[in-house]
Amino acid sequence: MKKTNRKTTIAVLVIAVALIALLIATTQSSTQYFLTVSELQGGETDLTGRNVRMSGVVLGDTIVYDPQTLDLTFEVAQIPGDHKVINEMGGMALVLEKAAADPTLPRITIHYNGVKPDLLKHEAQAIVSGSLDANGFFQAKELLLKCPSKYESALPNQVGN
Amino acid sequence: MFYLGLISFVASILAMLIAVILTIYQLIKRQTILTKSTITLASISFGLHTLSVLTLMAMQVLQDYSISYVVSVVNSVMPTILKMTAIWGGQAGSLFFWGWTLNLVFFISLHVRRQIQDSWSFLFTALNLLFFGALSLFAENPFTRVWLTESGGILEGVFSPATGATVYSGISGFGLNPLLRHWGMVIHPPILYFGFALFLIPFSVAISYLIRGESDEGLLGETRLWLLSGWILLTAGIVLGSWWSYDVLGWGGYWAWDPVETASLLPWLTSTGLLHSLLLQKQRKIFKRFNFVLILLTYMLVIFSILITRAGLLNSVHAFGESKISLPLTLLTLTLFVVSVALLAWRWRHLHSGWELTSLVTRDAAFLYTNVILISLTIVCFYGLAYPLITGALTGTQIGLDRTFFDKAATPLFILLAVLMAVCPLSAWTVNAVRQLGKTARIPLILSLVLIVVSFFLLTKSWLALMVLFVVGFGLLLMLALTLRDCKSPREAGKRWWSQRARHGAWFVHAGVLLIALGIVGMEGLAGSIQGTMIPGDKMPLRSYHVEFVQLTTEYENPEYLTIEAELVLWKDGKVIGKLYPGQHLYETRGQYVSIPDKQSNLRGDFYTLLLDYSSMMGYVTIQASDNPLVNFMWIGALMMVLGAALAATLPWKSLQLGDDDQPTLEQPRS
Repeated sequence: MKKTNRKTTIAVLVIAVALIALLIATTQSSTQYFLTVSELQGGETDLTGRNVRMSGVVLGDTIVYDPQTLDLTFEVAQIPGDHKVINEMGGMALVLEKAAADPTLPRITIHYNGVKPDLLKHEAQAIVSGSLDANGFFQAKELLLKCPSKYESALPNQVGN
Repeated sequence: MFYLGLISFVASILAMLIAVILTIYQLIKRQTILTKSTITLASISFGLHTLSVLTLMAMQVLQDYSISYVVSVVNSVMPTILKMTAIWGGQAGSLFFWGWTLNLVFFISLHVRRQIQDSWSFLFTALNLLFFGALSLFAENPFTRVWLTESGGILEGVFSPATGATVYSGISGFGLNPLLRHWGMVIHPPILYFGFALFLIPFSVAISYLIRGESDEGLLGETRLWLLSGWILLTAGIVLGSWWSYDVLGWGGYWAWDPVETASLLPWLTSTGLLHSLLLQKQRKIFKRFNFVLILLTYMLVIFSILITRAGLLNSVHAFGESKISLPLTLLTLTLFVVSVALLAWRWRHLHSGWELTSLVTRDAAFLYTNVILISLTIVCFYGLAYPLITGALTGTQIGLDRTFFDKAATPLFILLAVLMAVCPLSAWTVNAVRQLGKTARIPLILSLVLIVVSFFLLTKSWLALMVLFVVGFGLLLMLALTLRDCKSPREAGKRWWSQRARHGAWFVHAGVLLIALGIVGMEGLAGSIQGTMIPGDKMPLRSYHVEFVQLTTEYENPEYLTIEAELVLWKDGKVIGKLYPGQHLYETRGQYVSIPDKQSNLRGDFYTLLLDYSSMMGYVTIQASDNPLVNFMWIGALMMVLGAALAATLPWKSLQLGDDDQPTLEQPRS
């Protein structure tokens, strides 16, 4: 009984060490910073080249797409990253609408090569993964879009239930 | 309608609350057997809950736009089936529906032939249910109405939010997001919900066992069918989601390690482990503690998965966005965790089951390895999901892990699992069958070799794929041969096959997993893709195929969207083999496009086309074409898993037997 227990302990330790090694090794190469537009542009540390995930509101007029080369360029404007802040401001739909109309907010140009997503349009929330290049453009490797419900923005003064 | 729905919902919660109070009273008197009145109250609660759900559905179908949820998910031109199922198309409705699935499962558990609920498990099930009921009632009420104030403003509230406000139904419905207007939407969410909900019962029963200090075999025998059914629906739900995203949503991918996908995989991994180790507990009386841990963990992961989906903590295509229910859900997850750990710690010694693994190459050991890998995968996936939440809490900036983390960390473990599976159950089973059949095994062997040769010419040239096909084909033919051997009548053969159904079911599940692996090999290793812009008459080559663009058509066949379709002719080796019509639906009022892919599909694989862009004025289209070999084995494999598990589930726990030590024999079960 004792002997098998020791064996088991050793086996469990070996597996645990192997698993932790696997996690550490992969974590280092896959870390990704979740930032807002202003955090990316105004960060104290230079974030150029770092693997970043960023969210912003799409400005419809700036979308340029070349179906031949699949080159897609558009601008996004700053939206807050904190859910609490977004809730205090009246919900995501409202935040997106306001941010898209506010020219004073920081903006950044996104470059992406690939199929133009169905949901890419004015006031959509774009979530991009990629990195900032030397010219201040965001080179996106992944592009995810979420649409605000128009209905929600038709209700300017939502009250809690 | 509003009052019917809201009042029946509130009454349903009240009935459950009274049942809980009665149960606590019983427990204080140290009565653990459920009383009739408690069961009746719970049934009434279920009845009222059902009425309430049906009312909301009816309001959706009738387009009652005074209800704010109806406005957000329904519009006048959606087909009735989508109007009904829009109940799980938004946050408030789907949370409400999820509460109802819990109640349904609860109801079933109280009325099955063998009563598995006692007062303790009743209490825990009912408390879970009440939690979600309260969330729906106080945080995300699906019956919230739209109000017009005297000053002309529009407000939301269950009851009048301001003096003089009147119920307003003038906003016309916005309708479901076009991406959700598909029958995948009709079946994928409820199947997943039911799968999730079924794990609540084993959880509650296990908690009750821990509290009462019982640790006999009863727990697993009583809950096995629940676990298996939950596992079947969860498997089906996950695969349906994967199929939907590949086949319909035009994303072309079947799995993206999206947080919500990954989260739904967690309870699947632990319950798969559980289905293995409960066999060992039955047979060898080992893994008792482990099984308790897994039953509790599986339901906790279900709740964690709901938290990830609904709390909007992580960015995901599935997530409902920011939400006020994240705090209560986090608290629930933590409470379940603390209660489970405390109870386990309290009864830990009591659950001791000894450890008698005699050798490292026995089948018992193989079960152990399987579980080690499954648990490791659970840890990897959980770690990947929790990492941004933890770094966010510690440093203020969320630092996450991108997709490459899962690709790199999980893939080796999945490969290990597939190899273990191919080597262990299938090959052990095969070796044994060959030994029993002796010379008769030659026929299946020859037939499966023929199958491989045929596959080589018709299906695939990949040796890995051929090997998998051989293992699966040979196993299937052996099973047939064993069943038919020395049989005098088909009736006898059928009987013999049926008596072995648990083993055959398990075999089907494992063969199914291998076929899924085959499909993944096809998608990840053998697929090819090209995109290009064409004018009518142009041809685009891909491997032995050519895609020719004929014309672009535009028509208003639906009131809501404009259908744009490219007519393509598919050539293979210089011959026309078919036509494809990839298109886009343009929802003009929303300014949103939905891609509708078209594909030519057979066992060999899919030829998959997407219309990326077009210009009716210039007359050009941009087409993406992909050759995805073997991809359909994924869906065939998934079907085999689900049916195989269902087959195994029909064998009662009593007669379940693993067979002789180390050798999966094909003898009759000796029960």
